[in-house]
Amino acid sequence: MNRWRTSVDEIQARKRQVTECERALEALCKVTACFQQMAISIGSNSDGSFLREEMDETRALAHRICTGLHRRLVPLLTERATEPGQEDRLQVQRLWVLFLTGLENLQQDLHKASDFIDRFPLKQRNDRRALVNTGATDGVTGVSARAASVQTPWLAVEVEQNPDLKTHITQIDVLVKEMLQKVSIPFWAVEATQEAWVEGTQSQDAAHDQDETLEEMMVVSQDDQMSGCCQPLNCKLGCMFCLST
Amino acid sequence: MTIRNVRDHGQRFRPRMACLKKVESVMLEMQDPKTGVKSQPQRLVITTIPHAITGEDIVAWLTNCYSIEAEEAWALGTMLVAFGYIYPLQDHKRLVIKPDASLYRFQTPYFWPAQQWPVEDTDYAIYLAKRNIRKKGILALYEQVQYNSLHKWMNYKWDFIVMQAKEQYRAGKERKKPDRVVFDCQERAYWVVHRPPPGTVSAMDYGLERMVDPNTEEKQTSDFFRRIMIFTQQSIMRPRVKSSVSIGALVKYSVTYNKHDPFLAPCLPSNPWVTDDVTYWFLNMANVGIPTKMRVERWTFSFGELLSDPRGRDDFRLFLKKEFSGENLAFWEACEDLKWGTAATMNDKAQQVYKTFLTRGAPRWINIDGKTMEVTVKGLKHPHRYVLDAAQTHIFMLMKKDSFGRYLKSPVFKDTQKRAICPDQHMFSVPQLEANARKRRPSISPIIVRQLEQEERARMATSGPVDITQYSPALCQNVLPPPGQAAAFSLSTWSSPAKPRPGALPIFSRSRWTSLQSVVSTPVDSEDEVERRRH
Repeated sequence: MNRWRTSVDEIQARKRQVTECERALEALCKVTACFQQMAISIGSNSDGSFLREEMDETRALAHRICTGLHRRLVPLLTERATEPGQEDRLQVQRLWVLFLTGLENLQQDLHKASDFIDRFPLKQRNDRRALVNTGATDGVTGVSARAASVQTPWLAVEVEQNPDLKTHITQIDVLVKEMLQKVSIPFWAVEATQEAWVEGTQSQDAAHDQDETLEEMMVVSQDDQMSGCCQPLNCKLGCMFCLST
Repeated sequence: MTIRNVRDHGQRFRPRMACLKKVESVMLEMQDPKTGVKSQPQRLVITTIPHAITGEDIVAWLTNCYSIEAEEAWALGTMLVAFGYIYPLQDHKRLVIKPDASLYRFQTPYFWPAQQWPVEDTDYAIYLAKRNIRKKGILALYEQVQYNSLHKWMNYKWDFIVMQAKEQYRAGKERKKPDRVVFDCQERAYWVVHRPPPGTVSAMDYGLERMVDPNTEEKQTSDFFRRIMIFTQQSIMRPRVKSSVSIGALVKYSVTYNKHDPFLAPCLPSNPWVTDDVTYWFLNMANVGIPTKMRVERWTFSFGELLSDPRGRDDFRLFLKKEFSGENLAFWEACEDLKWGTAATMNDKAQQVYKTFLTRGAPRWINIDGKTMEVTVKGLKHPHRYVLDAAQTHIFMLMKKDSFGRYLKSPVFKDTQKRAICPDQHMFSVPQLEANARKRRPSISPIIVRQLEQEERARMATSGPVDITQYSPALCQNVLPPPGQAAAFSLSTWSSPAKPRPGALPIFSRSRWTSLQSVVSTPVDSEDEVERRRH
């Protein structure tokens, strides 16, 4: 009887850990997405020390999530496969594969970011001349706030040293290699839980309607070479184009 | 996770993209506020986005900066757009520079093409999923096709892809509206370059990947110097030719092949790579009944051209059959078969060739000089792939000097020439070109092509050309190859009896017929039928 009860506790603890890992994976996705948004601005005219600091912080956050998740997933995988934990096992394997994919995604972004940070140093004032004029203005505050809003159970608890970019990259390289070799999971056994095209049909929030006009805006871009045209005339033309698409 | 054959982390180098470093320095030059390209704001319906540049400004700047002609500047500008460093704001699917007032913008460095890391399919899948979310399922046809195939091949990471797409979409919404428009334009332009929609020409075709960075300087070790020494020694040992002679040969080649080069002269009816219309390939297939005029003209250039074109070889074989000297071509083909065949069948093939062509009193005896025969027979004791090379060269020269000239004057060739067709050039309008692009289908599977070839070869084996020596059955009796091997080697077969003697099947070959008939589907007396079927 005691044995049965302890195994129930074990199962519950395991389930809790698995849900924790899933949340952490979602958090990792969020943070990598924000990191990518910031990395896109490197080397452009909206680049600056503020952007780079935010990137560092986001990267440190990603690092903490990654190490924590790794530390928790490995014991979940290497525990002896007991009978009650069978479905769990598939789920944990799925999490492992998705985590590895996420790490590779982050690795790629880090490589690119590191390369461009080296190529566009901002130490001197002349360097600002070399930045590419992409038409973007600063806008990373919202993104960094989003990244900072990520919650994982161990973020507050475990305090680690934040590595700088190069060390971070090497650490991730090592981690990926190690993960591929340590636990041999047939990744082709993992299947997607969603069908294709589902994400397009899911109802989105109200801000979605805004995007329609965004698309139209991109198509309707007009060139304003005629310096003789006055403002109201331009607007009228714009409206005409808008209606025709 | 992605399967990688090599843990490269950027070690795979794409040689044709070594120019990207230079393009990047050009791009940075253009950014200079004083000496760079003038930019202006782009006015959209509700907002204004800075840093738009016109095509004519870009071309003018390139002309001034590098002191080149306007046409060259235009070509250079198109290259910048094709590589993805500048993207057009209107007509985003055509990656060209229009030297007028149409607008362009610089691409952010994150989306620049890079030599050291390839464009990942995972990223493309995330982009397509994001687009699906935004457009609620209404994607272009080629995008739908790509989406479905990626969903199938990346099924194990599809959850991550969808999660990441949603997160990226939400992260993108945190930015201000003009920035969002800019980002969407940038991303769209990036994927137009790297996954071009049908009808777009991008510059991303980079050839094979290499394991060594072509940009690095090679370390000068003793190995390096040894290689240089061997190379120079071999260069000295090469036979020398006067430059007037070699240049004369080049000129002659260029003049002869000028009209046949698809880059210099238009393909008739149209180049399939350009117009997506495959009539040209259909008209020039290996077993086509009536060849095109260009193809027939090509046969007259040299004997090698005639033999390397399967249709030409068929024509030549027909001519030789009429002259009863088909054994030369048959021997040459047997040698090619030996050279290119599998190693397991090599011994048998060599023995067959010896018995059929070389030995005294062979059924299809070829006429080679004593020295070559000696060398060949000696080599056949320990046969290898190139043991028949000397004999093959001899026969090739014999055919070239003798039969080829007669072939070009023969009625067979003249008939083929007369019946050759010359198709008209296609004139496709732009909507027709788009329709062609949509109708593209994969061609016949190579497995089926190989099966058809094998059937054709077996069919020909039963109705091969008749040789003089076959009329003397007594001579042939000694050299019967064993019955089982007929199927493997198509040339060592007995043909159907010649027309004048319809009923007289040689006695010894009856046992062969059963094994042959199981392989071949056509009836025995099929010489003329094969001809009729082909023409």
